[in-house]
Amino acid sequence: MNRIKVLLENLRRGVVTEQYPFKPIRVPERLRGKPVIDPDKCAGCGACVNACPPNALTMRDDKHSSMRFIVLFIGRCIYCGKCEEACPFGAIRLTREFELAAENREDLYQVVGLRLYHCPLCGEPFTTVRLIKRVVEALPEEQRAAATLCPRCRESVTAHYRSYARR
Amino acid sequence: MKLYRRSLWVFHLNSGSCNGCDIEILNALAPRQDAERLGVKLVGSPRHADAILFTGPVTREALPSVVRAIQAVPEPKIVLAVGACACGGGIWHDSYCVLGGIQGLYRVLKSMGVAPPKTIYVPGCPPKPEAIIHGIMLARGLAGQRQARSEYFEEQGPAVKAEEDLHRLFHKCFPGRLPPKTARVEWGVTRY
Amino acid sequence: MRSSGINQVRPRNKYELMIDLRRFGEPRLRGKYLFLSRIKSGRLRDLVDYLHWRLGGYYSTSIGVDERPLDGYFHVYHVFVLEEYGVYVLVDLIADPGHPVVESITPVVPAANWAEREIMDFIGVKFRGHPEPHRLILPDDWPENVYPLRKDYPYDDKLPTSDKIAKLVRESSPATWEPEAHGDHTVIPVGPYHPALHEPEYFELFVEGEKIVDARYKGFMVHRGIEKIAESRLSYNQVSFIAERICGICGFTHSTAYCQAVEEAAGIDVPERAEYIRSILLEIERIHSHFLWMGVAFHLLGYDTGFMIMWRLRESIMDLAEELTGSRKMYGANIVGGIRDKWDIRDDKAALIKRMLDEIREEYLKYIPKIISLEEIKKRTRGVGVLSRSDARKYSVLGPHARASGIKTDVRKYRPYAAYKYVNVEIPVLDDGDIYARMIVRHEEILASIDLIHRLLDNIPKTPLHADTSYIPERRHGIGCTEAPRGEDLHFVITGRDNKLYRWRPRAPTYNNLLSVPAMLREEYLADAPIIIASIDPCFSCTDHVVVVDLRSGRRRPLRTRGVVGGR
Repeated sequence: MNRIKVLLENLRRGVVTEQYPFKPIRVPERLRGKPVIDPDKCAGCGACVNACPPNALTMRDDKHSSMRFIVLFIGRCIYCGKCEEACPFGAIRLTREFELAAENREDLYQVVGLRLYHCPLCGEPFTTVRLIKRVVEALPEEQRAAATLCPRCRESVTAHYRSYARR
Repeated sequence: MKLYRRSLWVFHLNSGSCNGCDIEILNALAPRQDAERLGVKLVGSPRHADAILFTGPVTREALPSVVRAIQAVPEPKIVLAVGACACGGGIWHDSYCVLGGIQGLYRVLKSMGVAPPKTIYVPGCPPKPEAIIHGIMLARGLAGQRQARSEYFEEQGPAVKAEEDLHRLFHKCFPGRLPPKTARVEWGVTRY
Repeated sequence: MRSSGINQVRPRNKYELMIDLRRFGEPRLRGKYLFLSRIKSGRLRDLVDYLHWRLGGYYSTSIGVDERPLDGYFHVYHVFVLEEYGVYVLVDLIADPGHPVVESITPVVPAANWAEREIMDFIGVKFRGHPEPHRLILPDDWPENVYPLRKDYPYDDKLPTSDKIAKLVRESSPATWEPEAHGDHTVIPVGPYHPALHEPEYFELFVEGEKIVDARYKGFMVHRGIEKIAESRLSYNQVSFIAERICGICGFTHSTAYCQAVEEAAGIDVPERAEYIRSILLEIERIHSHFLWMGVAFHLLGYDTGFMIMWRLRESIMDLAEELTGSRKMYGANIVGGIRDKWDIRDDKAALIKRMLDEIREEYLKYIPKIISLEEIKKRTRGVGVLSRSDARKYSVLGPHARASGIKTDVRKYRPYAAYKYVNVEIPVLDDGDIYARMIVRHEEILASIDLIHRLLDNIPKTPLHADTSYIPERRHGIGCTEAPRGEDLHFVITGRDNKLYRWRPRAPTYNNLLSVPAMLREEYLADAPIIIASIDPCFSCTDHVVVVDLRSGRRRPLRTRGVVGGR
């Protein structure tokens, strides 16, 4: 008797299959899908690279061409959203795209290349031009010149000035 | 891919995954996302299969059984690497007992003289069952790929000019400075 | 108290317990942790017998730590849970690096079998008196004196696989193990490297005709080196993501237990709203896991319609989880100190949860009471796979498995954590110990969980979502326990420098439960083996390829079943 009741319940329910490949499905607004870097906002600071648990975001500096490459490989991404939280400029965001299948592994990469900035004193490339420009524009007038240096040179220059000011 | 226009018999191979992707694969065969209406059937032996649904970063201990299972599938075959662990090694891609996903497995196959089969990558952690169905449709040639490699390189001209402006600003405020002579400090990782 | 002798009066609280334990070593009480170091020689087994069998506590796990950079020794911690006194007793043994041997406690507490073998594999400390000191987790071809969890072994040193591959190319036959003798008969097991094998673990059953005589288990093919990665390259907040991916079904429980362990070690106070949200997500995970188990159990009993029905009902829970957290599984909500900002549950989401839960409950009650009272299901599960209460105590089983054998244990009620401190939790306990009892226990837990979520949603307070965690002190021990759908999940943490861990040991509940399977399998029919193994809920479906070895004829035949098992 119970078996018949279960059968009748199933018949009453009808067809439950969704029509997926032939019609789109509804995705919730909080869905964590593919991350996308906005190349105009990215400054190459590397905060996202530091925050990414599976190292899907990697950073490589190439001295010969003076470029810094931020590489996002969505094949290894775990869609946690830590990069979105860490980015100070809002350049990387998680979209709602989930259809990510690809035939070539190369199609799963996004590369952003930014020019490296060299220190005026010692010539070492230590960050990108965009980041230094944004930092310098955000500082007050009298601190701008010292902010264009790499950390080692900046230490030596401003230490001299601090001891000078104490006298 | 015209060979698979009608049906695709798949064999599920787990090389050490956490079971998240495996449950999403079984979900794709449950009533709501029913993959069986698209001709997909789960078979119990690799000899009967057309495609392999591969999950898991390849662990050292599971390696031999995985190699044998892949070699047992008859040609022509296609491998679907499902999940972040299979596509790129996942969150443990550099651990001491993990080969690093399907790329590591193909390196092993090449050293044995076997050519790696055609592969379709389905990223996600875990990928939604609909994403797996999209991957299967791609394998059958009925759907289009939506991802493409995207590259952006900053224009050299404006960037070089901005760099020179900043250098000029520095030399205007601190004329005649020389670089310091102290040794470089290397910042390293804490190791016990 | 009477004077010294075996019949002493029981201590009444943890302070008297500490004084009582002075006869074994040096106790030190810090909050909920009672450390016992410098055990007097020869008294270790008496101590363990006293704690596990006579005082009413139970053995939980053992952890090996390489503390040579800190104080020059290897440490082995045995963790005992004494719920009556509200303490964790950590028995701290020291091993000298030159001659690392300590005494084994497995003869007294058989539940310590695997934990000690794991320490032998990873740290290299030998246990004197262990009945089966074989390799447990590392692969068979791992070199002899290389111990991965020692601090001088780098986490990304991958050993070459050329020997393994050479062996594969040379050999053509599937059997790779030597034939073993079992009594008068020769047994040839089919090795783990079989072409037809597509799951990475297996059981070996020794049969005579149709009755099972003994069973052996070999597994751990899912070893991925999680503990080593977490110590080497991840910060505190990143480890909660790798903890979630230990298991694809009970991931959020592992992440919560890890965060609780660090919060205990550092003394961080989690705000109440975060505790409520954690509990709500934990209960949603419990419901989804029990639905999954029921579907799989019906499939193994031969009732595929039940499998499809339960997995269709499960879709509603996954939808609910997706609305709340953005992903069907792997919620990613936990950080040390609370919940991340985007995972908040505001009033509109609360109303949605209540509505969807009512629909789920209505659908569920239309089907399950009818299915459970079907004659076929009752006949196949009543009286089958019985685990007696004394056996359950011997192997320290946990969760619904223990509750179905008459042991009243539940972390939510007796050691409350998160928001369970503020609500009352009912736990079903049955005495039969067979598969039917386990099914009923899980059925009642589903209904209790739905009710619990309603009550939690009514009382959510308005506080911030996470606490300030800028300073986490070094060298503190912490234990975080949660009630996973399968039992008690224990995480042990020692904090370190530079925003990183020093040692992390997650112990999943299936680790203890699997040891009881041979005891349940003896004297049962072969056809019942898959459902018996699945009734402990080994993290997914029944364990996979079961090899049947017929003792009388010496032939072996494979028993094909589907499914994969999760590991650590």
